Amino acid sequence: MKHLPGFLVFLLPLAAQPPAAPSTETVGRARGEDFGNYNLVQSYELGVRFHGVGGSESKYRSDVNYGNGVRLLASRFSMSSKDGSGKFFDELSIWTQGLGNDPYQSAGLRAHKNHWWRYDMLWRSNAYFNPGLAVAAGQHAMDTERRLQDHEFTMLPQSRLKFLFGFSQSSQQGPALSTTNLFDVRDDEYLLFTDVSRRQREFWVGNEFKVAGIKVHWIRSWERYVEDSPLRTDGLQQGNNTADRAALTRFSRTEPYSGRTPGWRVNILKQGRSLWGISGRFTHSAGRRRFAFDESAEATDRGGATRSRQILVGGDALRPVTTGHLTLSIFPTGRLTITNHSGFHNTRMEGNASYAEFSNASLAFDRVDFQFLGIRSYTNATDANFQAARRLQLHGGYQYSTRAIRSVEQQGFTGFTDRFETRQENRVHSGLFGFRLQPFGGMTLAVDGELGRQDRPFFPIAEKDYHGLSVRAVYRRSSLWLSAAARSAYNFNSAGISTHSARARTYSLDASWQARDWLALEAGYSKLHSGTVSGIAYFASSSQFSGARSLWVSNIHAVNLAANVSLGTRVSLSLGLSRTEDRGGSFPAAPSPESAFAPAQQYPMLFQSPSARLSIKLTEKIRWNAGYQYYGYREDLSRSLNYRAYNAFSSLLWTF
Amino acid sequence: MDFYKNPHGRVAQAGSPPETAGCESCHGPGSEHIAGKGDKSKITAFSLLPPAQVLAACLRCHAESLGRMQIRRSSHTQAQVACNQCHSIHKAKTPRSLLAREQRELCYGCHSNIRAQFSLPVKHRVNEGVVQCTDCHNPHGAAAPAWTMGQRPRMVEAALGNEEPCLKCHIDKRGPFAFEHPAVRVGGCSSCHVPHGSANARLLRRPAVFTLCLECHNGAGDFGRQGDGIQQTPLSHNMANPRFRHCTTCHVRIHGSNGDQRFLR
Repeated sequence: MKHLPGFLVFLLPLAAQPPAAPSTETVGRARGEDFGNYNLVQSYELGVRFHGVGGSESKYRSDVNYGNGVRLLASRFSMSSKDGSGKFFDELSIWTQGLGNDPYQSAGLRAHKNHWWRYDMLWRSNAYFNPGLAVAAGQHAMDTERRLQDHEFTMLPQSRLKFLFGFSQSSQQGPALSTTNLFDVRDDEYLLFTDVSRRQREFWVGNEFKVAGIKVHWIRSWERYVEDSPLRTDGLQQGNNTADRAALTRFSRTEPYSGRTPGWRVNILKQGRSLWGISGRFTHSAGRRRFAFDESAEATDRGGATRSRQILVGGDALRPVTTGHLTLSIFPTGRLTITNHSGFHNTRMEGNASYAEFSNASLAFDRVDFQFLGIRSYTNATDANFQAARRLQLHGGYQYSTRAIRSVEQQGFTGFTDRFETRQENRVHSGLFGFRLQPFGGMTLAVDGELGRQDRPFFPIAEKDYHGLSVRAVYRRSSLWLSAAARSAYNFNSAGISTHSARARTYSLDASWQARDWLALEAGYSKLHSGTVSGIAYFASSSQFSGARSLWVSNIHAVNLAANVSLGTRVSLSLGLSRTEDRGGSFPAAPSPESAFAPAQQYPMLFQSPSARLSIKLTEKIRWNAGYQYYGYREDLSRSLNYRAYNAFSSLLWTF
Repeated sequence: MDFYKNPHGRVAQAGSPPETAGCESCHGPGSEHIAGKGDKSKITAFSLLPPAQVLAACLRCHAESLGRMQIRRSSHTQAQVACNQCHSIHKAKTPRSLLAREQRELCYGCHSNIRAQFSLPVKHRVNEGVVQCTDCHNPHGAAAPAWTMGQRPRMVEAALGNEEPCLKCHIDKRGPFAFEHPAVRVGGCSSCHVPHGSANARLLRRPAVFTLCLECHNGAGDFGRQGDGIQQTPLSHNMANPRFRHCTTCHVRIHGSNGDQRFLR
């Protein structure tokens, strides 16, 4: 694939199935208007959204979440100096999406003054509603909004000596539900309300310079995290099991949690003429959090006795992380590239917590916990890329990794300490190979494979004996582009009664065709198959089931169709369909004896969304757009979540 | 061509000599091209170059950029994906990075199986435009991940210096906690979640939580923190009772807790 042909660039917007708005049409290539020494280009799409939902509105909000109202669907403003010597700046670009209460909003800004400075900003907001669904019996609903902002300011961006300043903030706010189990496992669970409030801020300063041909880039950062999401319940609650006598009278919990993570990042790069290059990256961060936990509850336990309990926990947690990476690239000939990459990673996690419990049943109870988890790993990978002939390229590689994990779990009671300490090591060997072949003009065939062996994985579903193969063929001729791909990945991890076997196979077929100047078509089909068999053990009705199996099978068929039709010079029509269906499947292996496992081994569902958008050029600068998108969701496991919905919009796009 | 609006044009405006910042710095001497009335064969036309030569030409200036430190060993380079397959120097469609199309459309162009994953009902909001592929991935190649074993995932960039990129947004999962769930720290978020899209709530690997938990908590082998199998659920957890199939109803702090080593609070 030498380059993207022009028709493909035109077709690519059809490939995705984004929401119908904002529009992708423009009124032409805007050259902007001159304003003094600057050129201004502006584009605004102002519209109104409508929506309707039949069925589960909660699930619609979880999956789609577009609502009603007026929005600035998209906008773009750029101001560029024509000779590179603007008075205040040489470039000012602002772009937005969804402002005015869309659940997904973003805004970006770039300002730049040649030689002197550059400023980049990106702000995003994601309002996410989750009705809980399968998690915690649907009781962990949340309606929160995440906001992210990133600011970067660079002084002397085009010189060899740069100064870097930055600020990032990530927050999550909103109401949510949680649950708690009181007293013991035989007692009841109760629903709690929480007002989620979390915020992470990071400031950083840095510098980039070049000395003796080596480029050095360093950053010193300070991260601050604050969370205070109190939980409570008001009034009497019977709990999840309304048949028992357990009931919650009053509950409150506050658990402020905050701390800092100072860090260093140092990068070095050196290019040695055209024969070699070396780069390194070294980081260290020292996360520390302090916490206090105060929970008080008044309840009736399952025996009918009145219980009151207060729990106080205080302590801190540390996690210093150090990493180092070094990459050496050598180019012995113009056709051969060899890279060697080494990575080192060391994490130490230490947690200290003092626990105190006061209860009218057991009086007082004190405990001091200490936990340590250390992970140290080293990776070395060598890859080679060889252009064997004009139409044949080969590549291969070998990677070795080793990891040591040390664990300490200690509990101290009055006059007694219980300590458990372990250490384990794990190694991975893996090999990569592949080739690219162009058997004839317009045709490319790519084959890649990987084989790996791990001697002691940490958990039963981790990769142990694994291999993967990928084959892809692309044909391009004139206005036609065809692609077919097949991928497979297998993993076997067995130990004693536990046998984990996972297989994934993916097949894709894609085609794009610029049939006429006014007609572009695209079709894509993917089949994603995955199936696992995992050894499990559990108790049911006082019997132990060892060597039982958990099965999972998924067969996803995904279809994307798109057509873009230009009717004359003023009207364009876009049609699209996205249809994703998981048909589940059958498994040759016998399921677990417990009947509850049978419905959990597949999840048949259908999610489809056809859409249409009409765009009419009214004047040289104005377009009118209208769009409609239908969403249909259907699943077999719980039909209460099924829904049918539509989203529609009408907008005016003004570009000048 | 409005080249003064282009970042490459601004380098030229900044006073660098034409052979290092003007048209000829990329396209070579242009006098014959002009004499040939625009004959593309008389200059270095990137649309006609093989991928390796395109990469070499761009790296003459961009090799020492931080985000491209691993480009020589990136999967895209191995797959002969050259710079101009994603970037359009003269007709960029995005305000930053000179992309030929919106980022997701570029990525979906080759990764159609990933497009299928983002078409599932539960997904990160990439199609909606608020999340971008590059929030987690570095298309120019990334160092070996520090948060998991080995070299994979290959093109995923660390966030916050040296941690899993999920933690940039999911700030409450970062910790450190007094009681860490070892699977999260040793295997990473993908031990339980799929990153792109899923039919399952909260991007879980399984539709029912208890099967996900039981597949590790089976007491078998020498797995786990203590090296003697990951603790099996106790006798009191009667799986015949639906109550015990919703593990996170009680184990609410499953990503890590400060109040309880069993993640109950």
